[in-house]
Amino acid sequence: MSDPMMDKFKSVFFAVCISAVCSLAILYVSTGLKERQDKNLMTDKHKNILKAAGLVLADQTYPADRIETIYQKNIKTCYIDNTGQIFKEASKDNDRLQLYFQVKDEDIESYIIPIDTKGLWGQILGYLALEKDGSTIAGFTVYHHSETPGLGGEIERSWFQKEFVGKKIVNRENQFVSIAIAKGKAPKDLSDNYVDGISGATLTGKFLTSGLKEILKEYEPVSVKFRTGGIGKIHPQNRNAEDGK
Amino acid sequence: MANKTYRKIITEGVFKNNPIAIQVLGICSALAVTVQLKTALVMGISLTFVTAFSNLIISILRHWIPRNIRIIVELTIIATLVIIIDQVLKAFLYDISKQLSVFVGLIITNCIVMGRAEAFALSNPPFASFLDGVGNGLGYAMILSCVGFIRELFGSGKIFGFKVVPDLFYAAGYQDMGLMVLAPGAFIVIGLLVWIQKIMTKE
Repeated sequence: MSDPMMDKFKSVFFAVCISAVCSLAILYVSTGLKERQDKNLMTDKHKNILKAAGLVLADQTYPADRIETIYQKNIKTCYIDNTGQIFKEASKDNDRLQLYFQVKDEDIESYIIPIDTKGLWGQILGYLALEKDGSTIAGFTVYHHSETPGLGGEIERSWFQKEFVGKKIVNRENQFVSIAIAKGKAPKDLSDNYVDGISGATLTGKFLTSGLKEILKEYEPVSVKFRTGGIGKIHPQNRNAEDGK
Repeated sequence: MANKTYRKIITEGVFKNNPIAIQVLGICSALAVTVQLKTALVMGISLTFVTAFSNLIISILRHWIPRNIRIIVELTIIATLVIIIDQVLKAFLYDISKQLSVFVGLIITNCIVMGRAEAFALSNPPFASFLDGVGNGLGYAMILSCVGFIRELFGSGKIFGFKVVPDLFYAAGYQDMGLMVLAPGAFIVIGLLVWIQKIMTKE
């Protein structure tokens, strides 16, 4: 004889028990692995910064500790305000832009701008490295996107990213024009400011073009400083304490 | 005697009652993660882990699970296992977990897992259920690996990320088959595999 009230109580009791056990299991696993996961995320980010700067090869895998060693040795994180002044720390109200410097001894070799923009289907994340002349692109990487594989998704491939190397973000009169992705082949007379587009992915190119322009414009103050020779060295007081051996 | 039935349970999942080729379940993920052999293999192993242990746990609990909420209970157990494997992949195989992206999470909605729990685990003892889960998972992994192998070989000329098509071929005008990288290519390959499987199992 089963009492319906009793059955209901049993179901609820069972549901509560199974939920509790499952939550505990997930809690245990996720807290236990958190540290490792965060480290992986960090390494992935660092790897992409190094890739943009051309310090690691795109098609090769590196062990995590090697990435970290190269990163610590060559890259410094900085922040700039809207006049292009460089700071070591982010400001409290978060109005400074993040920037990475690739340094060799004390000299800045290139600076790396984080790219966070809209694509056709979703966010595109990557890095764009510029030479110390403030106008030549040293490298470009994309590490996250949701574009169509085989079409817009080609932006993650090295053949596309390699096209950016050596292009200019200024025109011949040294005016800022940004870098654009052409529809089809890059126009011959403007080949310094255009890269060849991906066939079948005109819209992804359009979104990326406008996104890059917007971001580069924000960083223009610091680029101007580089172009006019205002920056060239990392000042000792700007260096992070742990790097100053 | 018992050994024989256990073996039958496993081979049933791999061949006679293969979840993809015969039951035609789990096609969505089979299209998405088979561009490369490596991701296909990891996905297959992940799913095998989930079906095996969800079957085992559900079978152990089968006398206590109240009938009226059994689907919810099954889903809770499956979801827990999937989250665990997702976390483990993120911690130990970060690059692969990045490529698999949402598809590990989507194992929860994979009909194979739920289907085996309902069809087998609820009415069979734990060890047999575990083997049934392993068998079906392996069946899925096998098809996925075949598709991954074919797609990676013809789509990008590589196996496990290593170049296998010699440069000589490319120099002579050979080109990678773009179709294989896209989802329709996977559809065609899976269709062919279903055909072959049907011929092989027809007696």
